[in-house]
Amino acid sequence: MQNKTHNEVEFLSRKILDLNKQLIESQSAKSRFLSLVANELNNPMTALLGLIPHLKPQDMEKEKVYNLVHEEALMLEFRIQNLVAAAQIESGEYDLSFATVNVTTLLNEALEALKYIILNRNISVSVTNTINDNIVSDPQKLFLIMHNLISNASLFGDANTQIEIHLSDKNNRLQIEVKNQGSGPNVAFKPQVFTRFSSDTSGLHGLGLGLSVVRSICELLEGDIDFICQDNFVIFTVTLPLETNATDTMACGSNEFLFDSFEDAIEL
Amino acid sequence: MIQGSSTFIHVGQIHIDHAPRAISTVLGSCVAVCLYDCSLGIGGMNHYLLPFWNGNGLQTPKFGNISIPKLIEQMILRGATSKTLEAKIFGGASMNSMAGDSMMIGEKNILVAKEILKEYKIPIIAEDIGGQNGRKIQFNLDRGKVLMKYTTRIDLTQRG
Repeated sequence: MQNKTHNEVEFLSRKILDLNKQLIESQSAKSRFLSLVANELNNPMTALLGLIPHLKPQDMEKEKVYNLVHEEALMLEFRIQNLVAAAQIESGEYDLSFATVNVTTLLNEALEALKYIILNRNISVSVTNTINDNIVSDPQKLFLIMHNLISNASLFGDANTQIEIHLSDKNNRLQIEVKNQGSGPNVAFKPQVFTRFSSDTSGLHGLGLGLSVVRSICELLEGDIDFICQDNFVIFTVTLPLETNATDTMACGSNEFLFDSFEDAIEL
Repeated sequence: MIQGSSTFIHVGQIHIDHAPRAISTVLGSCVAVCLYDCSLGIGGMNHYLLPFWNGNGLQTPKFGNISIPKLIEQMILRGATSKTLEAKIFGGASMNSMAGDSMMIGEKNILVAKEILKEYKIPIIAEDIGGQNGRKIQFNLDRGKVLMKYTTRIDLTQRG
């Protein structure tokens, strides 16, 4: 009986493998394109963003144009970062690099990068943060998570409303909560919301790349992401492991299992 | 004995390196494929959680059918050929023997490795797969040998 089941599973698995191969082939062109575009765009964009602030004019009229240029450049940079992240995740080259991080600084950077959108849509931001210590995490990835969540809230939430951001320690995990007013993505289509390039039911919600990137980063960091929509409010919640002491003390042998020797090991 | 330095890889990672470095990981029902090219002295290891990418989400290398071809491609990019490559596979334990492992994740992970390597005509010259024990492995790239130790159940609660 067990043998029969085993054979059946084996047969079906081979079948799935075959079907998936076709699926992967059809997707690979898209992946290659993504990776190429991401790398080609990233470098000039970084240079551009470094140079733009030097052009800030004194003249009020010119400043309007300057602000528009800066806003568009920041938006483009953000989209490229998501593309780069998606391309790296797909290629398996998305490594974590941990450092001591101040979450308030990261949050402020994310808000600064989105300042024009927040200003233009007349959105006020309220932040509550109960994380006082520096934490150990991957700053770049944490930044991308915050940037995506706040960008979504400010772009897709109602104008002239408030965004509430809560950073807290919940059961020894870092919880990032972003709440905005407005109709959010349909809860019934949750899997699609976190799938890249899937068109949202309303067709309004961008490329569908940001949230898929956020979900993958969360997985990589051993955290998770979810959202709820109620009473015309949307709340996105990300939880991540909260580590407040430096990891390098751990790596020096406190974890016997991972760092003990391979004496008496079998050699193959 | 760890000689040189060892890089630890997690689920969904692929790492290629050269002698005298080493790559290590810890496996439960996950599988790691170690590829070695003795003429170049380079080797690569992956570590995947599930056999198949099902079309949802990003094609991350935590799926066997994504991870193994990527590992092979990366080795070929560094000059290896399918004629000089040799494979060793590890892991694929059935970790939920008490509850009856109806999903047979470990078995499917092993099957995917064997099928894909067969397709690329890369011989499997050593393996330690299945069973109910987790494994800790270290792939030494000076000779392409893999050191392996079985782990106890408690160690693996957080591992793939």
